[in-house]
Amino acid sequence: MNETIVSYFSQFEIYKTIVDTLTNSIGTSGPAIFNFLIFFLAVFVVVNIMAVIGGLGTFAERKISADMQGRIGPNRVGPYGILQFLADGIKMFLKEDIIPKAADRFIFIVAPVLALMGVFGTLAVIPFSNGFILTNLNVGIFYLIGIGSLVGLAVFLGGYASNSKWSMLGGMRGASQIISYEIPVVLSIMAVVILSGTLNFKDLVEAQGGMPQTWFIFHNPFTFIGFFIFFIGALAETNRAPFDLPEAESELVSGYHTEYTGMRFAFFALAEYVEVFVVCGVGAAAFLGGFNVPFHLGGDGIVGQVLQIGAFVSKTLFLYYLVIVIRWTYPRLRVDQLMSLCWKYLTPIALFNLIGVSVWLYMFDGKSMWSLLFEHGSKAVSGH
Amino acid sequence: MGNFLFFASAILTILGAISVVLVKDIMHACVYLLVSLIGVAGLYLTLGADFVAATQLVVYVGGVVILMVFAVMLTGGASSQDSNKFGMIKTPMMGNLKTYTIGVFALFITLFIIVKILGNIFKGLKTEALGPLTESVQKIGFSLITDNVLAFEISSVLLLGSLIGAAIIARPLKEKVEN
Repeated sequence: MNETIVSYFSQFEIYKTIVDTLTNSIGTSGPAIFNFLIFFLAVFVVVNIMAVIGGLGTFAERKISADMQGRIGPNRVGPYGILQFLADGIKMFLKEDIIPKAADRFIFIVAPVLALMGVFGTLAVIPFSNGFILTNLNVGIFYLIGIGSLVGLAVFLGGYASNSKWSMLGGMRGASQIISYEIPVVLSIMAVVILSGTLNFKDLVEAQGGMPQTWFIFHNPFTFIGFFIFFIGALAETNRAPFDLPEAESELVSGYHTEYTGMRFAFFALAEYVEVFVVCGVGAAAFLGGFNVPFHLGGDGIVGQVLQIGAFVSKTLFLYYLVIVIRWTYPRLRVDQLMSLCWKYLTPIALFNLIGVSVWLYMFDGKSMWSLLFEHGSKAVSGH
Repeated sequence: MGNFLFFASAILTILGAISVVLVKDIMHACVYLLVSLIGVAGLYLTLGADFVAATQLVVYVGGVVILMVFAVMLTGGASSQDSNKFGMIKTPMMGNLKTYTIGVFALFITLFIIVKILGNIFKGLKTEALGPLTESVQKIGFSLITDNVLAFEISSVLLLGSLIGAAIIARPLKEKVEN
């Protein structure tokens, strides 16, 4: 069995006492039920917090865009309008749920659920902290890439099932874009995987350190370029501007979710915002040191866990902020530009990076450029 | 618990497969195929082959089903009654003397490399430098570059061949100048 969040809790005394009392009262199935309860509770907490983060993402987006354009933004509901997303959510619940007559009913209903499933499935392996990973799979990164590609299918099916030309165009664009940009993203993640020699998210993060010079982004020049390729590809995979062609308002009305209303639309929107968080989290974990706290502050206890979650979430939210700022800064690409950017620039550079990282690993025994510089400098100093 | 998950994914697989056959709409069949493939991934996972399960997700769910849906849609889907013949056009031989010469050279170099790799295996590699392999990923990776390297290389050649074939089919036909 893989390491899960339950195995973190099982090191405390209180866990053992509860398990013992349960075994005495219920029997041998007591611990299993209790483990399941803990796991269920953790999943419940994570999913709900993610949903709230997705909602706050819409609020942050509107507020930041308002700042950048000299407007005020939402300011009526709650302090600074921060409860706007709740009002939006309630509005979504109360809207009439319309399924177009010509739509393919079955796929129309399945598509938003698939999108949400794909995104929330990825949350299982996100390393929030040393102990707080829902399940620490051996092949965590691989699993994340696999389950995350459900979103592309959902976008396409949603566009197809709506039976409207705008949705169809948006869905086709979305699917082709997601498939193409998966390649540079996966290749640049692969470079980091080669460096750390593991597909396990926790080991990948722990191969880095707390201070910036031990992060993989500054490990060597190739990973530095690789991070930016990953980030550009991630923007495109989550259909964010400047790659928001699938839902380009000015040409496609609203793209693949044109015909969706009420909660089904909310599913798509929520999936998009949570996916941005997940992708930023992967970037933070793979390149920016993830949950590592400088100088191992707080140790491995509860305080340490809180600090680690803080480190991970603050890095992720920084990337999230960048994503939002980029959306309101750059104009949208054309379809042919989008494809040529991916296939003619990003993919070759990512392949080159992959080879470069392998060569670096072979030449310098996996040392980072800072440690090489330091060694060289200390040798030069001692030589005199 | 493990048993329960195994049977759940087995039922998912079987029901999905039956629905693929029974459903009339080909798009719906694709969605049911997706369900069936996810069930197969679940089977792998419950049997302890986590790497294979993740590969199943990446290759089939992420790649094959999307491509199927694309293909179905581009060929007209369920509504098209007139089943046209395949739009394949006979392509003339590609290349000239120069490209063939380069190709033969490349073939020799590739053969040289393969022989070099295989020679090392038959001579016997030093394996004691590695620690015990615990994770399934490590075992798979180790066996792919030692015992099964030939299959690995041949499958990559197969993929390269299919890539080139796709490029030949997709490339725009040259207009004949004399007509």
